[in-house]
Amino acid sequence: MGNPRAEITETVPMLPPLPGWITSRPAETLEDAAFLSGAALAHLHLVAKESAIPQDLWRARLALAAAEVCVVLSGRREGAAGLRDALLLTRPGDHPGPAGDILRQWSRAVVRPVSVVHLAKTIVGASAERIALCLDASGRTPVERAARVLEAVLTEAPRAETAALILADAVLSKALGRDHILPLMSLRLKSRDLRLRGDDLRLTCYRAIGTGAGQAVGLAADLARRAARLKAVAPRLRAKGAGRAVEMFLSQDAVTPAGLTEVMSDRAARRMCDRLVELGVVRELTGRSAFRLYGV
Amino acid sequence: MARRPEDPDLDRELAGLPADLRWREWLRRIEAVLFASASPVSRDDLAKIVGQGVSVDLLIADLVVDLADRPYELARVGTGCMLRTRPAYAAAIRAAADVGGRALDLSEFDLAVLAAVAFHQPISRDGLKGIFGKEISRDLISRLSERNLIASGPREPRRGAPYTFVTTETFLAAFGMESLRDLPDCEQAEDAGLAAP
Repeated sequence: MGNPRAEITETVPMLPPLPGWITSRPAETLEDAAFLSGAALAHLHLVAKESAIPQDLWRARLALAAAEVCVVLSGRREGAAGLRDALLLTRPGDHPGPAGDILRQWSRAVVRPVSVVHLAKTIVGASAERIALCLDASGRTPVERAARVLEAVLTEAPRAETAALILADAVLSKALGRDHILPLMSLRLKSRDLRLRGDDLRLTCYRAIGTGAGQAVGLAADLARRAARLKAVAPRLRAKGAGRAVEMFLSQDAVTPAGLTEVMSDRAARRMCDRLVELGVVRELTGRSAFRLYGV
Repeated sequence: MARRPEDPDLDRELAGLPADLRWREWLRRIEAVLFASASPVSRDDLAKIVGQGVSVDLLIADLVVDLADRPYELARVGTGCMLRTRPAYAAAIRAAADVGGRALDLSEFDLAVLAAVAFHQPISRDGLKGIFGKEISRDLISRLSERNLIASGPREPRRGAPYTFVTTETFLAAFGMESLRDLPDCEQAEDAGLAAP
């Protein structure tokens, strides 16, 4: 069949990255930062509408990035690979451990539309009334609302970074007219940033959202390209349940062959993963020879 | 914690009482539940015994104030709360109270292994062997998990998929911690010369 990677280039959509003048230098004053983050969000708003972006997968990957940040904030050292392992290798009923728990909160939070009920079930240690209060936060701009929520939650519980950041991003996403949480603010914060209050914290939030939006747009372009390649080879997969399997790859950060067994046999699932890797549309994420995880 | 079905006979709303007595009754219920429970009670479970939509956080805050001059206090542990005698009465309790069944009764080495799990979780028996330089017996692990101090975490991605161990909320409660971040900082201890690097 020749080189399987060659023929699938023309369907790849191009998503423009953030213009250079937004990202060229970090903003020094509150006005500059507000202006640049606004420009970044407007750009993101247009890019996010592109139908080629696998929205679920996009949110899942951003949730992983946000969880990585939160794990560092909580003083732990697990990276993305460790987090994935913790979550995917935990059997039902077992505990994913402190780091896995952070990723579990993030990935559950982005799966369903923002609601008090869903977030109350997802976020550890935040009551429904607290969440309802946060989601109703007022402020003139979306970023200001998110910054207020972040400040309020952290002032009450300085160590609840994960809860604070999930809620801040939830408020931001809602204010931007999105149904689901799109992690943006949480992608670049450091523990030093979270100790700031008032205008200093707002400045940090503006900056974080500017860089976060840039990162999200870049990731969206990358995932749109990868998704287009996977969709292009999908008709060639003749295994039973292949359609559902492709859908799973397009909506989850990482898939285990065992996770595919709900749509196909164990053997078929393994062969499917190998075949997709061979076609160059899916990567093996761990580099291990066993307990492999696959993702777009 | 296991989910219990809601008791239809429990009058949650207490509509017949005036507002202040109703609040008082809810406070008493929460105190009674915490008093009767051996392990921390989650906020969700407490919400089941008070009126729909009533703020458990506010009730708990009021209860903390109520208990200010008692020999026991309300402690937040992980995502739940429990009643705990104040440390000042430890000597008196040890002298006269019957707490034999509740003491941890662990050897020094058991505690060392528990501490290793707490700092390095999730960690498997093999990982613990790497730390202590000898095999950690299944008995020791089962002693810790019988006391509900550790639970099984994610499987390790190795041949045989060994279990890893993580600490539980009971562990936090037993050692008076609110979260794992109350564990002493290893690096700080090394810097201060308290621990060998």
